[in-house]
Amino acid sequence: MKSKKVLSMLLASAMLAGMLTGCGNTPAPDTSAGAQPESVQADGAKEEAPAESKQEDAGSDTASGSDKELLSLEVYDVAANYQGIQTGWFDKVVKDRFNLELNIIAPQVAGDAVFQTRASTGNLGDILILEGADFADCVSAGLVKDISAEIGNYPNLMTYEDQIKTFNEGLPGNEAGITYGIPAQMTNTSPTAYSQDVIYSSPLLRWDLYSELGCPEIKDLDGLLDVLEQMMKAHPTNESGDPAYPFSLWADWDGGDGMLGIANVVQLTTWYGEKIKGSAILKPDNTFIPLTDKAGTYYKILKFLNDAQVRGLVDPDSGTQDWNAACAKMSAGQVYLMWYSWQVGFWNSQDRLKAGNAFIYTPVADQLYYVDSDTYYGSGRVFAVGSQVDDEKYARIMEFLDWYASPEGLTFEHNGIEGFNYTVGDDGKFTLINDNALMDNLPVPEEYGGAGYQDGNNAINQWIVDAISTNPNTGEPYSCQYWSTYKEATMTDMKREWQEKFDAEEPVDYMKKNDLLVVSPNVSVTLPSDSSDISVIRNQCNEALCDYSWRMIFAKDDAEFDSMWDEMCTQMDGFGFQELYNFDVEKFQIELDVKLEAMK
Amino acid sequence: MKNFFQNKRKVRGFKEFLYILPFLALVAVFSYYPLYGWVYAFFDYKPPFPLSINQFAGLKWFKSMVDNPVKTMQILKVLRNTFAMSGLSLLFSWFPMIFAVFLNEIKCVPFKKFVQTVTTLPNFISWVLVYSIAYCLLNSTGVVNSVLMNLGVIDTPQLFLQSSSHVWFKMWLWLTWKNAGWSAIMYIAAITGIDEELNEAARVDGASRMQIIWNITIPSILPTYFVLVMLSLANFLSNGMEQYFVFENAFNKESIEVLDLYVYNLAMGSGGYSLSTAISILKSVVSVLLLCCTNGISKLIRGEGFI
Repeated sequence: MKSKKVLSMLLASAMLAGMLTGCGNTPAPDTSAGAQPESVQADGAKEEAPAESKQEDAGSDTASGSDKELLSLEVYDVAANYQGIQTGWFDKVVKDRFNLELNIIAPQVAGDAVFQTRASTGNLGDILILEGADFADCVSAGLVKDISAEIGNYPNLMTYEDQIKTFNEGLPGNEAGITYGIPAQMTNTSPTAYSQDVIYSSPLLRWDLYSELGCPEIKDLDGLLDVLEQMMKAHPTNESGDPAYPFSLWADWDGGDGMLGIANVVQLTTWYGEKIKGSAILKPDNTFIPLTDKAGTYYKILKFLNDAQVRGLVDPDSGTQDWNAACAKMSAGQVYLMWYSWQVGFWNSQDRLKAGNAFIYTPVADQLYYVDSDTYYGSGRVFAVGSQVDDEKYARIMEFLDWYASPEGLTFEHNGIEGFNYTVGDDGKFTLINDNALMDNLPVPEEYGGAGYQDGNNAINQWIVDAISTNPNTGEPYSCQYWSTYKEATMTDMKREWQEKFDAEEPVDYMKKNDLLVVSPNVSVTLPSDSSDISVIRNQCNEALCDYSWRMIFAKDDAEFDSMWDEMCTQMDGFGFQELYNFDVEKFQIELDVKLEAMK
Repeated sequence: MKNFFQNKRKVRGFKEFLYILPFLALVAVFSYYPLYGWVYAFFDYKPPFPLSINQFAGLKWFKSMVDNPVKTMQILKVLRNTFAMSGLSLLFSWFPMIFAVFLNEIKCVPFKKFVQTVTTLPNFISWVLVYSIAYCLLNSTGVVNSVLMNLGVIDTPQLFLQSSSHVWFKMWLWLTWKNAGWSAIMYIAAITGIDEELNEAARVDGASRMQIIWNITIPSILPTYFVLVMLSLANFLSNGMEQYFVFENAFNKESIEVLDLYVYNLAMGSGGYSLSTAISILKSVVSVLLLCCTNGISKLIRGEGFI
């Protein structure tokens, strides 16, 4: 009997303890042990950190972090696709300088509900990286700290004073001009310039396959399909014998980037000078039409993919595979058409550029490309400090953010580690080495923090300053593709042939020469966020649109395609599409007006 | 107070109450406290703003479910899928029982253990992994398509995962593959509880194996079966969402979207928290009604309820 009593007492107290710890608030970050499995590696590196950091301190003017105690910062980060403690080489970089540990909270991983639950506790995190509209809401809900008084003390952030000021003054209800946020991805170029060599989305073909066909001129999308069909006939498999298709699509990015519809369609609408803004399409003549308009590009591109499918050019797994599966096929050479400028990174390497079988922009005669100009005022996301941080933490956060926007910090963020990712020449210019570090997750030497390069890469995944900005130490942009050494190394026969054929240095030069670019200036406006009614309509319309779009791509013929389109429009109208469209037009008209003003 | 401590029965009663107190607290915290979340259904809630009385919306979200024919159809479609898939598993709920009975008849012990282990194991695989297995088997270059094409049965790859036909049945097959062995454990336990004398007596009387199964084993485990069926009836509307979530795609959504998945898609897609709370309230109400009904039926048929 007695033993039973003891047992029940034990059980009861264990349960009570369990409940208390379950309900309690998270312990203060600096006392948390951070017992994540990934941090084992980092702990190993920490032991030898003191000796390391002394060496580096001698050469750098940043304050040493080793005299301060280790502090863990919660980074609420909408850009991150990794959740947990930062590990590896970037962890070492930050620990050596500031003795900070970054605990990334990623709604992309944890789900959007984490925003709701954290916001309801009144503490979203220590460092916040938010989308513009959410940021404005968080400011009015009191989740963001006023940083006006201190930001003036941080010289690297103050380099972008003009942009930060413009952004904060544009916040709704902030007539006093209090500084709350720092826009992400600002540049030191200009709000109306387009400085890059390639654009975000354009048709990219394998040069070897295209020249094998004699580089035929491509008139329109049908012509593009003809070329792709010939490529597929000539090469039905990749080198290892797996079936290859011009298109391999993926379904898990649908409805993102503030655009209704499936990701593989919305990104191609910019090929005809149109840009999807929510549920509306912005035409080159600066008017809006509904996304469901058959004259718009959403219909046109969806039809294009359907035609491709009818001709047998679309990977049959497209509707059921995710990005990782599609990406594996791209890296294996099973895909013959790419469109994102960064997508070629999964195939093009310096070796392939030399061998001439890399992807490059191929003009289609009837196209006109919409691009957003350099993100001088920021990309729309915002860095901020949480309202609940205490003074000591606040000072260390600001110090960190200032470094994050400094040339030294930016070089780590955009270029990686000196001696591992690049070398510095006598003239101070950088030369790229180990260019497959990210792609192949190369092991990083112990002295830099160990582990794989990709594993230890900056998990914040968002920058205060864009890579196209000029690095004052080298006089060249941070992005390695614009280094003179890189251009020299990639000036291959393939590139020379391309330049000769199209009579231009780079794709963007060709587009500028032939007047094929619609450049939309970068402006700083904070647009109203969705009410709860609108967000339900948006969600339901988006789901209907995406589901029907996929089925339309796999439709048997035009009649089936069109009847599905009509069915889809009826269903979306039932969910309240008209109301959503009116809301979006009103919302984006604000932005459009400012853009038109900026172009004058 | 003094009286209380002198009264031994009362003290004992109080002590026993203390024993169950932690469990009551647990139920209160994890089952009753969350009901507070229902208030969200009556507000125009939008994170990050806390709830305030200005956002009170009354029954707006309940009404909006049946605003117009398209929305009503949507709800009906989701309900149809839920009922179809729960109904299908209910219809075949005897399957694990029969499986357990036949498993029990296997005389070769190593083989019996092997079968039991192999069928129980899938229960411990998460649905995400089940889907990746399914994807590897059934995609256009997967094992099934390769074998069929090499045999010359088909000449173009079949898109099994993308097909919209027989979705309910296929989902039931996956569910059964995953759960049958696990659900059989309960019946195996019940079978071991049958008095051996009954079997011996039957054998002495010359009963065949089938006759023993039919007249002794099955009637003895029927009560267990009924309790499990009743419990699953109460859970009729919550057939879980993980399975449907991983198998869902644009092509089979029409038949695969069940109530729980619909609520998830609505709330997590872009913060339709109020509407999805309203739907889950309705779900709870209907579930309680179903439970009462089955209890009533049970009283009618068996003469006793189970609550």
